[in-house]
Amino acid sequence: MDFDWSDDDLAFRAELRAFVAANLPEDWAKISSEGPGGADLVAFSQGFCEKLAERGWLTQHWPAEFGGRDASAWRHQILGEEMWGNAEPRGPRYMTVNWVGPSIMHFGTEEQKALHLPRIARGDVVWCQGFSEPGAGSDLAALRTSAIRDGDDYVVNGSKIWTSYVNHADYCYLVARTDPDSRGRQGISAILLPMDLPGIELREIPGLLGKKYFHEVFLRDVRVPIACRLGPEHDGWGVVTYTLAYERVGAAHYDRAARVLDAIAAEAGRKGLLESDAILERLGEARAAIEVARLLTYRVIDLREKQSPPTPDTNLARVAGTWAVRMTGDLLLEVFGAEGLVYGSEADAYFRLSQWAGVASGTTEIQLNLIAGHQLRLPRE
Amino acid sequence: MDLDWNDDQRAILDALRVLLDQHAGQERAAELARDDAYDTALHAALADAGYLEISLADDAGLLEAAMLVDAVAGAAGSVSIGASALIAPALVGAVPPDPVALARAGERGPVRFGAHAAQVLVDDGDEARLVELGDRRGEPVETNYALPMGRLPDPLPAGRSLGAGSSARLRRLWRLALAAECHGAMRAAMDLTARYVSERRQFGRAIGSFQAIQHRFAECEVRVQGGRWLMLEAAHQGAPAGAVELAAGYATRTALQVFNELHQFTGAMGFTREHPLHTWTLRLQLLRLELGGPGMHYRQAARVRWGRAARGGTR
Repeated sequence: MDFDWSDDDLAFRAELRAFVAANLPEDWAKISSEGPGGADLVAFSQGFCEKLAERGWLTQHWPAEFGGRDASAWRHQILGEEMWGNAEPRGPRYMTVNWVGPSIMHFGTEEQKALHLPRIARGDVVWCQGFSEPGAGSDLAALRTSAIRDGDDYVVNGSKIWTSYVNHADYCYLVARTDPDSRGRQGISAILLPMDLPGIELREIPGLLGKKYFHEVFLRDVRVPIACRLGPEHDGWGVVTYTLAYERVGAAHYDRAARVLDAIAAEAGRKGLLESDAILERLGEARAAIEVARLLTYRVIDLREKQSPPTPDTNLARVAGTWAVRMTGDLLLEVFGAEGLVYGSEADAYFRLSQWAGVASGTTEIQLNLIAGHQLRLPRE
Repeated sequence: MDLDWNDDQRAILDALRVLLDQHAGQERAAELARDDAYDTALHAALADAGYLEISLADDAGLLEAAMLVDAVAGAAGSVSIGASALIAPALVGAVPPDPVALARAGERGPVRFGAHAAQVLVDDGDEARLVELGDRRGEPVETNYALPMGRLPDPLPAGRSLGAGSSARLRRLWRLALAAECHGAMRAAMDLTARYVSERRQFGRAIGSFQAIQHRFAECEVRVQGGRWLMLEAAHQGAPAGAVELAAGYATRTALQVFNELHQFTGAMGFTREHPLHTWTLRLQLLRLELGGPGMHYRQAARVRWGRAARGGTR
């Protein structure tokens, strides 16, 4: 057992930090204040990702045949920490390199690989994730959006909701029911849907987390070629499961939380609050929660590097990450006080976005169900 | 980075489990607890097989010592494993032959192994001291909390100073050992209770199938596993300031949650001596108090990280 980084990894992190420092503009806090899907950040992320790609860093963990460098999963995690820790200058493209690309590599046809992987590796494409529906949130297998064969096409009808980045997306990683007589996990397929097809409409949903944050997508008689299906027809649940294993720890939330916690301590120091045992204790406790999230995530990376199939460690890491973000956000507001309620203030963006950590990308309750079943092996009803 | 045990570490663990199966375990612990007794036979077996010296070996260190402490606690060992195999060797470079107690100057409450220890490592402000008790042994106290406790002689003999600044090192090692011991006991208690709630039926179904239990159990699992990694990383890094306080804080705060939840899941049966849960949980109530408890660990962690701005308080 070894918790040390290699010299090469340390050198890479140092080089990356210097790059980030040199390439984030002065008004970065403002640009990033609406999260990775904010319009300013999405626009910025294009050029930033192209620079990462030029250096071979954006998809270094991919195999060389798909534009990567065969780098370790650890190397990609270092990139993820330095990106998410700095409010994710890759914008929504983090998701594209983290799991959309690997999923296409794993399940895609040669044509799909040739079409999508080079663009993702160059950083010039944005994807969104068409999973949740109004009637299928935590219970994803209840999804009803249909994709029915008609000649060489599927005809897609239905709606998706909470679709982050859809207002900027070139493609949607869609899951739909291709067998109309099926229920539950059967009869579902994954489809790589171009967003410029006729019949796709967006609706913005006013939300609490920021401006232009939530969207609903309506799909009305959208004709998409059958060649856009990813993986086996009617048997897409395995594709989804594979995808989610990558998605759940894709964002290094703990790294951002660690940096925010340092800022909280600095503010507490300025206000004389570090004399308070209660504040000190909560700072220490939040720091422990962040470190736990980091190490549980490292276990997932360790297993991935060893080519292990996904394990419940992913769910453990996800829950711990959520706790760390919530604890940090709650303490942030208490230390910064009412100034943190002012839109655009130093404390505002992190607190605002931290509040839904237990809901985004799958609720905590679903993670706990999976831990109970797959890790603790507690009985089903 | 490699978060699996290597072949050497796995071999140590495998051999250790054979020894612990033979000399430790729930029934042995229950028998000893009836008389507040120290497991002299287990101590001797661990010493004879060389385990207590594990951290002094050329190819091993604190990580292997933490692994040992964790495993012995998991087997419900009633020995001063943390002090004997992790703290004392790292602090004085040798393994004391007899049980070792840990104490803080100025605190007069009963301590673990206080009536059985021949030596005491004392946190005395700036410097740590190694005290040989000789004929002046501590007095046993009756306790419900699984490990034998006793009051040390008052005043304690002065003993030998381990040098200026050595008490900080003592506290760091103590916190690491605490985290390892808590983890071993919690893991065993969790595994036992996962089996219990899978078998115990009420309302026509296993109680472990109720979400009211599943979610709380899963939350404990996240904390127990998370705390394990904190402890192992701190051990691998040589028990640095900051990491050990976080590991001890997280472990001891989790200890209370695990105690409360597992006893709740097990119902009245868990409060009997006939059900084995107490073997691992009662000692958690004792461990979580040492060195000031989770609040003190966390405050100290904050002082280490945020330095000058957070000065004040002690240790």
